[in-house]
Amino acid sequence: MNGNLLNGGEFLLADTAGMEIFSPEEFTAEQKQIAETTEEFMKKEVFPNIDRIEDKDFGFVVEKMRQCADLGLFLAEVPEEYGGLELEKTTNMLMIEKVAPAASFNMAFSGHTGIGILPMVYYGTPDQKERYLGKLSSGEWIGAYALTEPDCGSDPLSSRTTAVLSDDGRHYILNGTKQFITNSAFADLFTVFAKIDGKHFSAFLVEKGYEGFSVGAEEKKMGLKGSSTTQLVLDNVRVPVENLLGEAGKGHKIAFNVLNVGRLKVATSTLGMAKGAFAEAASYATERKQFGKPIGTFGAIQEKLADMVAAIYASETVVYRVAGLLDSRLATLERDGDDYYERYQRAIEEYAAECAIAKVFCSEQLDMVVDEAVQIHGGYGYISEYAVERYYRDSRIQRIFEGTNEINRILIPTMLLRKADNNGSTLWELVRKAQAGVATETACTGEFAMAAASIARLKQLFLTVLGAAAPAKEHQEVMLAVADMIIAIFALESAVLRADKTIAAASMSKQDLLRAVVTVLVFELSNRFQSAATRCCAYALKGEELIELLKRVATLTACPAEGLLVAKHKLADAAKDVGRYSL
Amino acid sequence: MKILVCVKQVPDMESRFKPDGSGTWFEEADLAFRMNEYDEYAVEQAVQLKEQLGNEPEVTVLSIGPDRVNEAIKKALAMGCDRGAHIQDPAPQGKDPWQIASIITQFAQGEGFDLIFTGMQSQDRGSAQVGVLVAELLGFACATTLVGFAYADGVITAKRELEGGIKGIAKLRLPAVVTCQLGLNIPRYPTLPNIMKAKKKEILAIPVADLLKEEAVASTARFYPPARKGGGIVLEGDVGNLVEQLYGILKEKTTVLR
Repeated sequence: MNGNLLNGGEFLLADTAGMEIFSPEEFTAEQKQIAETTEEFMKKEVFPNIDRIEDKDFGFVVEKMRQCADLGLFLAEVPEEYGGLELEKTTNMLMIEKVAPAASFNMAFSGHTGIGILPMVYYGTPDQKERYLGKLSSGEWIGAYALTEPDCGSDPLSSRTTAVLSDDGRHYILNGTKQFITNSAFADLFTVFAKIDGKHFSAFLVEKGYEGFSVGAEEKKMGLKGSSTTQLVLDNVRVPVENLLGEAGKGHKIAFNVLNVGRLKVATSTLGMAKGAFAEAASYATERKQFGKPIGTFGAIQEKLADMVAAIYASETVVYRVAGLLDSRLATLERDGDDYYERYQRAIEEYAAECAIAKVFCSEQLDMVVDEAVQIHGGYGYISEYAVERYYRDSRIQRIFEGTNEINRILIPTMLLRKADNNGSTLWELVRKAQAGVATETACTGEFAMAAASIARLKQLFLTVLGAAAPAKEHQEVMLAVADMIIAIFALESAVLRADKTIAAASMSKQDLLRAVVTVLVFELSNRFQSAATRCCAYALKGEELIELLKRVATLTACPAEGLLVAKHKLADAAKDVGRYSL
Repeated sequence: MKILVCVKQVPDMESRFKPDGSGTWFEEADLAFRMNEYDEYAVEQAVQLKEQLGNEPEVTVLSIGPDRVNEAIKKALAMGCDRGAHIQDPAPQGKDPWQIASIITQFAQGEGFDLIFTGMQSQDRGSAQVGVLVAELLGFACATTLVGFAYADGVITAKRELEGGIKGIAKLRLPAVVTCQLGLNIPRYPTLPNIMKAKKKEILAIPVADLLKEEAVASTARFYPPARKGGGIVLEGDVGNLVEQLYGILKEKTTVLR
């Protein structure tokens, strides 16, 4: 445990100097082995059979899921008393990253191990766990989660599915339709949300064999074609009262609490997919020749490869920083006591904003990566025979999963402001200081002191703009822009902290690459910040105030970025050399 | 029964290799390392034998190298070996197969092993010497390039892969050394529960200086990339003509049609 574990959102208010982050360079031998087992399994059993999976051979998917279970891949978040391993979030993310390039299979895998199993882990009674958890963790049964409805997506509490207690008090009778349910074709147990008496939002464990329960036809989707997605129809389904999950009327806790880590998992999946798509692009760029030389030697392609490497480095850093934050906080919890999972949820909720940041940032980095990966392939990138075509299609939904990126963006400043209201006035004090022009200093020294100084200026600017724009916060457009500023700061700070932490032990050539990636990210993310800050000011301010603040935005985000071209060449050359992401 | 398995950690063979500063080995920085493929067959066979004998044998896994080789040892422990021996050596690549074999022998002499499994060769150096040298130094029977293994009543029946695709059967009495070839078995994946359990297994740490008594008898003169070859040949013409051309090449330049 480090002494300076930040609370959620505090990174915005504190000096980058002295912040501890977990970085992938710190994986233990066990974590690496778990990654190797997962990766070897995927390489031998799943990746060669992607076509079969994409053709919806669900029997094959279930067979491979059972093999995952045999390897213990479903045990990461299962409690020890039920045969699980309770691994760190960092380990769990590492596993998901390895599964992710087979995006359809990852839906089965992550749907089962995440939203399929976790509601029961967190809220199940000993009897429910006894009856179902072993079956789920052994892969005998596959789990699914049914929240969304045809008319109820981003606003889950508007659910129309109803539950009515039977006259004899032994069953809840469920009626309604659920939409876009992952794994439904082969799942055996569904966590279904419904309102008791049309009022009290609650969760129920529904077995597929219950009378009146039926699964609709497969949706025809843009991507993730090998993942099962259907409607569920509940027609007077009698669910035993023992299968009410958690308390009646407290379903929102279940629905929202699995979303925090769920968002980090989506971020992790997009990281794994980005690495997969990048490997295709990097190797294609070295093989494909035009005008007598490999296209990867042309600046137009090198620039793309370099930007993709920087995006993946930033994503990877963000994912494991957030996972590390969760682990650090969870490690402080006493394991004993009936309220363990309640405290566990609170510990995770502390970093709800960080989880949302990771989800938005990483899913959008993936979109950029797959887009450029197709572009590098030229016309072949549009042909299904090439893997990038699938990555491109599978990417798009990631910005919609676990709360659209718009919902997530709005959550980020909302949570921050709510905290500020609850915890006294630190935030507003700092805002006033920043508005008064008190320059934010950083105690960062060393190799990346300049980058850290840039981050300090961005933080000061963020506070200034936030203060100016706060009166207009009822406009979602303003909140989205504020979120973009926060995301840029978090991603840039994470990357700089990681590079700073790891450079001393790195080889000479790796050191060069770390300097290069920081140069690219300072440039890229300062620019993104600048764009968001400018937009935010334009939405919220007018007259002199607007002009004055825009001047400050321009001054404080200015980024000379000398050596940017050389830095990009270095990143691109290194990537072509190994044919995949390897920073 | 006491069993020893010797494993080496080698770079991922999909890496791009460059000569290092000394010009006698490759640059190791930034390479990913993993267990030598042939050694995985050795570990798997040792664990299968342990299981066959009702878990009675104790299986020790040994590796020589810097701290990173603990990862290979831990993998073997997660696959089912009982204890590890890490022979700490920051620069094993500077030692020739004779020295490596003598280090293993020094370790083995104090332990009383009945059976030693090694890979047929390492994927990086590929000398295929260490196993047979250990057998010679210990005075053990030895069979190499195993593609089949059976054990009953103190006798090993080894199916060996010989030149030209021929197989041979050898019977050996314990104590013995066997070296394992591709096709012997399918190594298991270490399961997550076993990976976590392996954390508790003992790994001895022994400085290589305690075991190294021999001078090298061979040295690496130079490590360099092969000369660049010309590109491949592209045959052109109609199918009949292509077949004739290809037939001609196969007949003249290869042994396929002789």
